[in-house]
Amino acid sequence: MAAGGDSLWYKDAIIYQLHVRAFCDSNNDGIGDFPGLVQKLDYLQELGINALWLMPFFPSPLRDDGYDISDYTAIHQHYGSLENFKTFLNAAHDRSIRIIIELVLNHTSDQHPWFKEAQSSRENPKRNWYVWSETDTRYPEASIIFLDTETSNWAWDPISKSYYWHRFFSHQPDLNYDNPAVFDAMWDVMKFWLNIGVDGFRLDAIPFLVERDGTRCENLPETHAIVREFRRRLDEAYPNKMLLAEANLWPADVSSYFGVGDEFHMAFHFPLMPRMFMAVQLEDRKPIIEIMEQTPRIPATCQWCIFLRNHDELTLATVTDIERDYMYDEYARDTTMRLNLGIRRRLAPMVDNDRRRVQLLNVLLMSMPGTPIIYYGDEIGMGDNVYLHDRNGVRTPMQWNGGWNAGFSGADPERLYSPVISNPVYGYQAINVESQKRSPHSLLSWMKRLIEIRKSSRVFSRGSIEFLQPSNHRVLAYIRESGEEKILVVNNLSASSQAVELNLQRYKGTVPVEMASRNLFPRIGDLPYLMTMGPYQSFAFRLRRL
Amino acid sequence: MAVISSTEDFLLADDFLRQLMSVGEVDLLVGIPSLNNATTISRAVEMIEQAFQESFPRDRVVILNVDDGSRDSTSEAFLSAMLSKNSNPWGLTSLRTIHRITTSCSNAPSQGGAFRTMLAAADLLRAKACAVISPVASNLTPACISALLYPAARENFDYVAPLYRRHRFDGLLARHLLYPMSRAIFGKGIRELHSEEFGFSCRLGSHCLNQNGWRDEAVQFSPETWMALGAISSDFRCCQTFLGQKTRPVTSSGTDIVAAVRGNVAALFSCIESQQVVWMERTGSEPVPTIGSDHDLTSEPVRVNRKRMLEMFRSGVSGLTTILETILEPGTHAEIQRIAAMDGRRVTFAAEVWVRTLYEFAAAYHHSVLNRDHLIQALVPLYRGRIYSFLLEHHDSSPEEIEADTETLCLEFEHRRPYLLEKWKARE
Repeated sequence: MAAGGDSLWYKDAIIYQLHVRAFCDSNNDGIGDFPGLVQKLDYLQELGINALWLMPFFPSPLRDDGYDISDYTAIHQHYGSLENFKTFLNAAHDRSIRIIIELVLNHTSDQHPWFKEAQSSRENPKRNWYVWSETDTRYPEASIIFLDTETSNWAWDPISKSYYWHRFFSHQPDLNYDNPAVFDAMWDVMKFWLNIGVDGFRLDAIPFLVERDGTRCENLPETHAIVREFRRRLDEAYPNKMLLAEANLWPADVSSYFGVGDEFHMAFHFPLMPRMFMAVQLEDRKPIIEIMEQTPRIPATCQWCIFLRNHDELTLATVTDIERDYMYDEYARDTTMRLNLGIRRRLAPMVDNDRRRVQLLNVLLMSMPGTPIIYYGDEIGMGDNVYLHDRNGVRTPMQWNGGWNAGFSGADPERLYSPVISNPVYGYQAINVESQKRSPHSLLSWMKRLIEIRKSSRVFSRGSIEFLQPSNHRVLAYIRESGEEKILVVNNLSASSQAVELNLQRYKGTVPVEMASRNLFPRIGDLPYLMTMGPYQSFAFRLRRL
Repeated sequence: MAVISSTEDFLLADDFLRQLMSVGEVDLLVGIPSLNNATTISRAVEMIEQAFQESFPRDRVVILNVDDGSRDSTSEAFLSAMLSKNSNPWGLTSLRTIHRITTSCSNAPSQGGAFRTMLAAADLLRAKACAVISPVASNLTPACISALLYPAARENFDYVAPLYRRHRFDGLLARHLLYPMSRAIFGKGIRELHSEEFGFSCRLGSHCLNQNGWRDEAVQFSPETWMALGAISSDFRCCQTFLGQKTRPVTSSGTDIVAAVRGNVAALFSCIESQQVVWMERTGSEPVPTIGSDHDLTSEPVRVNRKRMLEMFRSGVSGLTTILETILEPGTHAEIQRIAAMDGRRVTFAAEVWVRTLYEFAAAYHHSVLNRDHLIQALVPLYRGRIYSFLLEHHDSSPEEIEADTETLCLEFEHRRPYLLEKWKARE
């Protein structure tokens, strides 16, 4: 199914992000694997998602959770074999689930054979595949990203006795895209996976591909040229495939990665995410409206990717200092929850396990413009473990049931790649898939219904958005519209009941049909449309001419 | 329409209620009473928004304009006021929406009506801290507004009085009457009892809203003074905060003095009466905490029309003889007549006589010896005499000497407090 079909499929996708390692362990070695993932595809199909984004599963020393790749065309032995991957891919496609894999173009592991060759001698043909210097003072304008760990973007190589450039960890040397051989090699990597049948790539750390003197070595025209060439080759040889950009920038900057529809198909809308949390905590729609007003129009074939939480810390790079302080104070008062410029927590703990706020945020996720991404476990309200190092606290094993190791693995608990969450509030005995499947009122059941609603209309995935401006700022209301179809979404961002009057004169004569219950609401007339809403309540209405 | 007080028929308009409903609960409310201030109110709004952005970016805030029936589109100017680009050079911004709502006085226009509407709004919105700002105050900065809000919002103060840098001949009603007399009687000294700018807590606001005296003329004329006196007499936590230079209103005139004396003295006397159970038990006085710099006097040369002041003092003393006889003790009255008859270059209205006069006026007010408004108006020429004497004596005095004179007067009021008690109880 995945090879053909709609070239804009990514617009209608509901993406589920997971790490193979964390999902299901089939061979009881304490680490999730592809055969385990295959066992859980029925669950994902039932949930209603139609695309999976897999975090890196390639051979790697795992010093950065797989983002330090040492072989781009193989599977890490922990997760199975290439055959296992192909089986998984076919099984997913059989269930109409597309597969997006991660690709780190910017750098490799220092254990990658390319780098080992490059450092072996200055004359080695691979030498120029990386960025070398006799000093550590070049490109002084470039910022250091992992401030908590690194002090320079240059690292000393004792073998070739020179410095190599690394924008991330020092064990992740940057590739040199000024060398055409590097581009060709990475295109070969992409072809390898495309030929197997993957549907798209999430390309990591895109802004940093090229370095130039006198610049911050970010978002350079040369980087865009490289992306355009990848895209040209992709469209030519592999139609209906998708490229997703990871560029943690303001919308006006990241939109340049759409080009004129000739670079990325999708890009993350990073600044919207913290502002959704901010709006709910502030009980004021202002942060969301402001950032959406700053979001430029993008080419018709392009789409934003939006999310609440992911495998990284909740990034606060694209907020003001005042906003960052507020987010820390409200969502990460305990400083152990903070990492780099962000908050390393999952969705449910972020909102104090308040089911109503979890639901409200998910309604925003599913109804705002863009393709939503659900981070594994958030559909059941999984917790985190802030006492684990780095971002590992939000990468703990999936909680399938209340039994041994949460149903994730039959291994001895000590052997698990990470301890399961076991505290009384978020522990697997309390929060797990099996128990939530049994209750129609569970978060999981509610999420399934929400996804159903999202999929019931392409207005959510492809329609325009117009924000209403009711005088009650605790209410966020918008009209999603595509052709004749119109959907009104109303969200009470506050913890208290609210009344709101909506100016819906343009839709006079239509009847709002509530999408969850299909109940009819009073016909829209000349007067402002009065609604009363409970705490954190949301409604989506199809506006119908009846 | 909604009744917001169980004791009286005070109603809020439906449109105003709708606006309040939209705003919901707030942390901070700044009220701007207005009457034909279309040309100046934008600046006040700008200063308030800047204060919110700089000092309270996280708080839920609202700016409330209560208009007294302007005919110059003041409300429209209020709603359309834009922050100038220069006003926010650091790109600071509030995290939340800064709400603006406007309404007209619910009842017959009056200062009391406008203030009561603000209190009602603050109560309904459950505002933790409020400030009232004049729409014409050109000296007001964002820092001033923050200074008025901060003590109530963050430091648990209930009433926040302003302190200013004033000219030594400015603010004389406060220094010769309101401050020393209220300090002596209630035991707490607030220098600027009557001010167009002040802050208060929701606790004090609700307390005032639930008082029965809203129809009292004293409250209608000078609700600010009434609130301040209510705060110091009822043991609310009070403080003073320095706001910088106080500019003199350009429209200052003789009529203003009459109105100021009528409004403020009525509020003072009314409070002395209503709180007699409280103050009669008190002795001595204690300072009210001051936040920031202390008040300050400046001494640049100014022209004062003393001659007219003396004429009005003399004509008042002779024209109001019958009324003054009713109010004052014979000895006091005779002493005042003697002062009025002095050579203009030697007039001395001593502190002792002034204190005795005011205590006798307060007692007469209490005993209702005549119409209370007439009684207070009769004080105006005597106040002019006292000020004439002060200006004559202190024409060349330094700010320090004038400050010492004020303190002497305060002590005189405290020293003679038993005299007030004696007069107060004389007919009971």
